[in-house]
Amino acid sequence: MRYSLASQRDKFWGAFFFLIALICSLLLAAVLLFMLKESWPVWTEIGAKSFLLATAWNPMASPPEFSIAPMLVSTIWVAAGSLLIAAPIGFACAIFLAEFAPAPLADILRPVLNILTGIPSVVYGFLGAAVLVRFFERSLGWSSGESLFLASLVLALMVLPFIVANSEAALRSVPAEYRYAALALGVSKTHLAIHVLVPLARKGMLGSLALAFGRAAGETMAVLMLAGNILLTPGSWLDKGEPLPALIALELGSAVPGSPHYQALLAAGLVLVVIVMIINLLLNNYLHTARNEVNRFE
Amino acid sequence: MNRRKIRDGAFLTLLWASGLFMLFVLASVLIYLLQRGGRFISREFILGTPGGFPLGSEGGILPAIQGTLMLVFLALCFSVVPALITAIFLSEYGRNTRFAHIINLLVQSMAGIPSIITGLFVYALCVVEMGWGICLLAGGLALGIMIFPVITVSCRDALMAVNDDYRLSAESLGASRSYTLRRIILPQATTGILSGILLGMGYAAGATAPIMVTAAAIMARSPGNLFEPIMALPYHLYILFNEHISMDQAYATALVLVLLLLLLNSIALWLNRQQERKQYR
Repeated sequence: MRYSLASQRDKFWGAFFFLIALICSLLLAAVLLFMLKESWPVWTEIGAKSFLLATAWNPMASPPEFSIAPMLVSTIWVAAGSLLIAAPIGFACAIFLAEFAPAPLADILRPVLNILTGIPSVVYGFLGAAVLVRFFERSLGWSSGESLFLASLVLALMVLPFIVANSEAALRSVPAEYRYAALALGVSKTHLAIHVLVPLARKGMLGSLALAFGRAAGETMAVLMLAGNILLTPGSWLDKGEPLPALIALELGSAVPGSPHYQALLAAGLVLVVIVMIINLLLNNYLHTARNEVNRFE
Repeated sequence: MNRRKIRDGAFLTLLWASGLFMLFVLASVLIYLLQRGGRFISREFILGTPGGFPLGSEGGILPAIQGTLMLVFLALCFSVVPALITAIFLSEYGRNTRFAHIINLLVQSMAGIPSIITGLFVYALCVVEMGWGICLLAGGLALGIMIFPVITVSCRDALMAVNDDYRLSAESLGASRSYTLRRIILPQATTGILSGILLGMGYAAGATAPIMVTAAAIMARSPGNLFEPIMALPYHLYILFNEHISMDQAYATALVLVLLLLLLNSIALWLNRQQERKQYR
């Protein structure tokens, strides 16, 4: 055994560190269980089916109606829309960084990506609402510019750095042998990138999209300021809507603690976090198989 | 042959365009904010309190700056020690064990929790259930929970990056693990750990959603009481814009916030580079 000389003290500290680490990580379970407990009446009285699939959210009506279907649709629409915009640019930028960018430019671009992730979402939301909304209102003659599309556009800017960074990592993890083999066969660098590297890094690149989807779906400020905040099911990308995070942020302060409204908001939060976590867990599994696949080629 | 050349050329142009696009985004955000907000930044703006009617349309943002600094400080108090301990377990004591694998997965899942959910949790547990009310302490806790996984992951990576030769040499000399950790591994990883903490600070300083429901107020004159609401830069910016109070003030506030984060992130990046240099030496 490698650590046969390990003293009793080392064992003690090992156990200590493990315990603390475990407690911290179990905070996650605490969050989920507490939210489940607080929102329990929603699941038993309203029922999961009607909470998720009926069509109206109207806490002021009597009897109040609680269904998050419109917000769920908005959330998915906004997040998927942002990927639609961000994916092509992000992948192109990742290929550029991994294969084509001259070293000095890459040395500038990487910190720039880092700094872009550091700009707070409220600033993106603010600039989007102050500049883009006005631009669309003026140039396209829309009566009011806020829409799911604009929220997607700004979210796309926010998730782009993540897509680029993770996709570039995936491209770089392709073993160098493939590169040498392809170049030795005399193919051009663009051919190498499109027909050899991208297919091999495909899984990692798709994984970066899943991660970005989770981020976009959970993002609050940008959608709060840009999506228009209307509690209806959006019919198109250009409609207004109110994704789940915006709903929670807007209504939590005014919901009386312990009331059905409050419980419904906690239930909405639980649905959101479960969606995001399922995506992350699936992604984790997926990336593990991805890594194995690359190794098998070696 | 010619056709292929054109296709390759178009492909390359696209790649260059997308790369330059990222530069363009950052440059335009900074230049636009400087242009619109720069001329409103003055001594009075940084060191004054909000005034005018509606409140915030004149005056400064000092309470918001103080509030943000306090929130960040509290978030660090809640998160740094647990994060460091977890990171040490993941990289030193539990490396490659099943426990470490599970905790890694949990930390990763925590990193994926949307920030509004952290706020919702702290609101339901502390603000409502424990009766703290909307307050600085609750906001600090929410931010602490939010940055815990960020700091854990970067500290873990900093520790993992320490050359294994040190560990083997120390062990072969009969040093205990805790001694090795204290005297060799931690000093080697300090820069990386600091960089991770700065990253967490930046993340906490810019977060709006969690403090919006747990800590923030439109106006709070004397920040510092743990059980009072507090002003914060990102929330102040949101209010200035959303309540149509003052666009000029909003641009100036956004500029201050972005400059603060630029500073934090640049130091973090610089430290990271130092750490990498040390490793390659």
